Amino acid sequence: MAIVKFTLNHQPVTVQSDLNRRLLDVIRNDFNLKGLKEGCGEGECGACAVLINHEIVNSCLFVLANVEGKEVITIEEFAKTKRFTVIKEAFAKMGAVQCGFCTPGMVIATESLLHKNPHPTEMEIKVALSGNLCRCTGYNMIVEAIQEAAKAGEGLW
Amino acid sequence: MVKHIIPDTLSEALKYLYQGDFQVFAGGTDLMVQNRSWSETSIEFTKNMLYCFNLQELKGITAIDGRIEIGAMTPLETIMNHPDVPSLLSEAIGEMASPAIRHIATLAGNIGNASPAGDSLPVLILYDAWVELRNMAGFRMILLKDLIIGPRKTVMHPEEMIVKIVIPKHRFDFERFVKVGGRKADAISKVSFAGAVDIEDGKIADLRLTFGAVGKTVVRNETVEGAWIGMTISELKNGIWRLIDMYDPLILPIDDQRSNKHYRKTVAINLLRDFVDQL
Amino acid sequence: MQKDISISVNKIDNYEKISGCAKYVNDVEIEGALYAKTFRSPIISGEIVSITVPKLPDGYFAVDYRDVPGKNGVKIIKDDMPIFAEKILRYFGEPILLIVGPQKSVVQSLINKIILETKLIEPIYDESNIAINYHYEKGNPQNAFSSANRIFEYTYQTGYQEQAYIEPQGMIGYSEGDKITLIGSIQCPYYVKNAVLLALGCSSEQVRIIQPAVGGAFGGKEEFPSLMGCQLAVAINKIHKPIRLIYEREEDIEVTTKRHPAIIRMKAAVDSDNSLVAISSDIRLDGGAYLGLSNVVLSRAMIATTGAYTIPNVDCSGIVYLTNTVPNGAFRGFGAPQIFYAVEMFLNHIAKDLGIDPLDFKMKHLAKQGDLTSTSGTFRDPILMNDLIKRALEISDYRRKSQKYKLENQLRGMGISLFFHGCGFTGSGEATIIKAQVKLHKDEQDNVDILIAAVDMGQGVRTTMSKIVAHTLGIPMDKVRFPYPDTDFVPDSGPTVASRTTMIVGGLVAKAAQKMHDRWQNGVADTVIEQYVQPDYIVWDEATFHGDAYPAYSWGVNIVDVSVDKVTNQVTLEEAWSVYDLGKAIDDLVIKGQAEGGITQGFAYGYLENMEVKNGKVRQKNMTDYIIPTALDTTKITTELIDNPHAGGPYGAKGAGELTLIGGAPAVAMAIENAIFRRVHNIPVTPESIMELIEYGNR
Repeated sequence: MAIVKFTLNHQPVTVQSDLNRRLLDVIRNDFNLKGLKEGCGEGECGACAVLINHEIVNSCLFVLANVEGKEVITIEEFAKTKRFTVIKEAFAKMGAVQCGFCTPGMVIATESLLHKNPHPTEMEIKVALSGNLCRCTGYNMIVEAIQEAAKAGEGLW
Repeated sequence: MVKHIIPDTLSEALKYLYQGDFQVFAGGTDLMVQNRSWSETSIEFTKNMLYCFNLQELKGITAIDGRIEIGAMTPLETIMNHPDVPSLLSEAIGEMASPAIRHIATLAGNIGNASPAGDSLPVLILYDAWVELRNMAGFRMILLKDLIIGPRKTVMHPEEMIVKIVIPKHRFDFERFVKVGGRKADAISKVSFAGAVDIEDGKIADLRLTFGAVGKTVVRNETVEGAWIGMTISELKNGIWRLIDMYDPLILPIDDQRSNKHYRKTVAINLLRDFVDQL
Repeated sequence: MQKDISISVNKIDNYEKISGCAKYVNDVEIEGALYAKTFRSPIISGEIVSITVPKLPDGYFAVDYRDVPGKNGVKIIKDDMPIFAEKILRYFGEPILLIVGPQKSVVQSLINKIILETKLIEPIYDESNIAINYHYEKGNPQNAFSSANRIFEYTYQTGYQEQAYIEPQGMIGYSEGDKITLIGSIQCPYYVKNAVLLALGCSSEQVRIIQPAVGGAFGGKEEFPSLMGCQLAVAINKIHKPIRLIYEREEDIEVTTKRHPAIIRMKAAVDSDNSLVAISSDIRLDGGAYLGLSNVVLSRAMIATTGAYTIPNVDCSGIVYLTNTVPNGAFRGFGAPQIFYAVEMFLNHIAKDLGIDPLDFKMKHLAKQGDLTSTSGTFRDPILMNDLIKRALEISDYRRKSQKYKLENQLRGMGISLFFHGCGFTGSGEATIIKAQVKLHKDEQDNVDILIAAVDMGQGVRTTMSKIVAHTLGIPMDKVRFPYPDTDFVPDSGPTVASRTTMIVGGLVAKAAQKMHDRWQNGVADTVIEQYVQPDYIVWDEATFHGDAYPAYSWGVNIVDVSVDKVTNQVTLEEAWSVYDLGKAIDDLVIKGQAEGGITQGFAYGYLENMEVKNGKVRQKNMTDYIIPTALDTTKITTELIDNPHAGGPYGAKGAGELTLIGGAPAVAMAIENAIFRRVHNIPVTPESIMELIEYGNR
């Protein structure tokens, strides 16, 4: 057992727990935030993605010990922003959501990308999504949604 | 009872390494998968864990005196985007895993894991990269190609850890890295290849060729490379079958769930030939 | 109200899914729930001699076959799969018992300490245990073959395919009094309910099945969850506490149902003017350790043995043989992907042997309205394949590119596939087995609830069904509600399978909505129930495979342009085009999503996804080793529809869910074949296979 202090969704938090736990489980169980999902537990599918210091990370591979001092944002918190609203509208408009299980991870990947690169090329979008697996859509409509979000959200990123 | 320690400084980490049976944990992207346990349960590590990812002393990239020094805990994505990092290494990193993994995975981890399919290794070894190992008493420098001696085997002592990777700064006249995975992203290499050539007065001044995922460790043979120094490019091209013959006994892939021997060997040779063709 | 129903709307579950609020089974919390883990057979084939479970601490339980009050068999068709193995172990990973308790680490360590003594039995991997044997004929195939000008014979093989839904299988449940409620990631609430009724031997009111959001299924959650449901219900019945049974990914890949691998031998008789006069096929499916739905998969494959073509004489045989491997089951297409791959490649190869352009050869034999089907039924509705082909050729520039790539011989090729999918259950299944019923309920605030058992697993059924109701009633979409199916409140409208949901269930919903419309009174509550009635012109004899197998057919053309890397033999999809007739799109974006997702799975089945089962074990058992496409593996896809409204479907809609997967593999295999100038017979055409074909294959 040890104490780990970090920022979760803009709130400073202290977790007293075994250090050798996955951040995925800490977020879902200790903080009851279910937006991130476990799809594979091996860092392949991206359904567990969160933003750590504003970059996309697979929470199933991120050990609690390493989160000390970092800023973690989950989909629930990001959903309060204007940028999310633009992404949400774009995903809905382009039909990029089917079963929805990969979708929160795709949104996190979108934010992680646009935060660094507000005007990505199609290839840059695909690279940004390369760690997020989707079985329903074939990806193109998600790429189109991100292109739409980048356009509609001009100035937000 | 397995101990879990987050050291505050490098010297604290080295002290722990000296005292106990500790495994250095960097980004964790390999260790978390290798030791995975049932969802929601704590990861079952078998050794004491030393979580060094946040040691600021081990982060950062500096260009000094004709070399690049990369702190052991620097994430791959940061390395990839750094202007001083050799472009071939950036390319190789860009083909590793995914952005999410690259934000936390480290070169030290890729090296320490010593997988025969580790993607950074063929490029680092091509560059004659060094690794600085530290223990409580001091440090030593070792060539990366001497550090890794087999699948998941290094010559590191239990009380040592990687603190930096040092790459001689050099831009070759021709450089190429190719990764062959099962799909275009997020794949473990079936075969990889890195090649580099320097030409001076129309003659080969330096030739380096490495192959990944086709042997117990990265395949590089300086004797073979040396045999071509002083030749022209067209002599190299004309001698391609001789060159291939030299590598034939060195490229020893296996059959596994990803691919087979024949494919891996043939592609490795094809990559070599294609590299020479394009010079 | 909108004039054209096809115009896309904002899907009703978009916002909840995008914001992470949608609740999938593992997001649903139940207070005090225990965790269950399955103890599985470590051997491929054998007998249990003894099991020693360690002493269980207070609050921990073992649940096995002795705890099953009713029948220890999962109700699918033959119920041959036990809920828990009793004595014989037939595949690696077969479930033997559950350990259930409050702390996962303790449950896991108890599982690790179980001692199992077994006696090994020689495993069977070949065709020696034939469980199903079907045969049918049309016309006079013996005559046709004996008087044939030329006979062609080739064999084709297709591999396993894993559904790889991003949400792993899972189910949770609890009991209140003598009633058990299960919440699961499932396609068929009533399949699970009926299986649980058989397992518990209890009455209907004692079992309730609820579907939360489902993260993809593709057939993998059609019959498999019935096994989980039975195990969970038996455990809850014993322990009387809530329990969670959520699979790990590797577990899921190793032990849940896969697409049947197939070996298909095709033989054809061609007469002197190059007409195909007879086809004889021999279809062999490896069913794995238990039959499950395998005979229905075989039926569907056999029925499609003549592909999109009319061939006067047919001799079709099929078997399902059981082996000591993972039991195989439903996966989008359900036998059609296998057979259409074989038929398309076969006609392609015959044409090449005859020196004729394969597309011209195929078009010569295309089925037309009024023709007899393979099973001597009738294609009653217009078939627009010539229009589909014409449009597909136009938008892809197929002819010119095919020729160009052939002449340039630079490892680039075009492929085309022509195919259909029979919508709905085979033959009289709707009338005799499913007997679908739907319910619409209007409250006094004039909100209308759609009460059906259809599961939205991403294909958009909650939205499309709501559109059908809203359009028919002439009310806004936000006055229509489609709550997640709960067997306490919805009648059995049948399983969400077989591309039946829009056409059959949607058709009933549209009828019910029309009735409600005709007697609508503002502020007055109303309930309409509609029952499926089989059109009497659909006559099917299951024993002889004779008559109309399906009430309607959707049709498609896929074209793909591929390049093969000279150095690595890796395949790149350069571009893809499809044109479909699925009657009428209830929502254009929903259909576009199905089209792009389906063809992506179809292509990957053809060249990328590779699962080997060696010595009874799955070799590629995690998402690292079982390769599905990433965003970087996709290509530009252009999809168009040609409307061909079907009278029996709501607003003319036919089935769409599976059609879009079927054409991908034959198209990509053909393109690769054309790129490398070697005959392709087996899929997946991996780089390793391409290398072998280039070195040793036939031109």
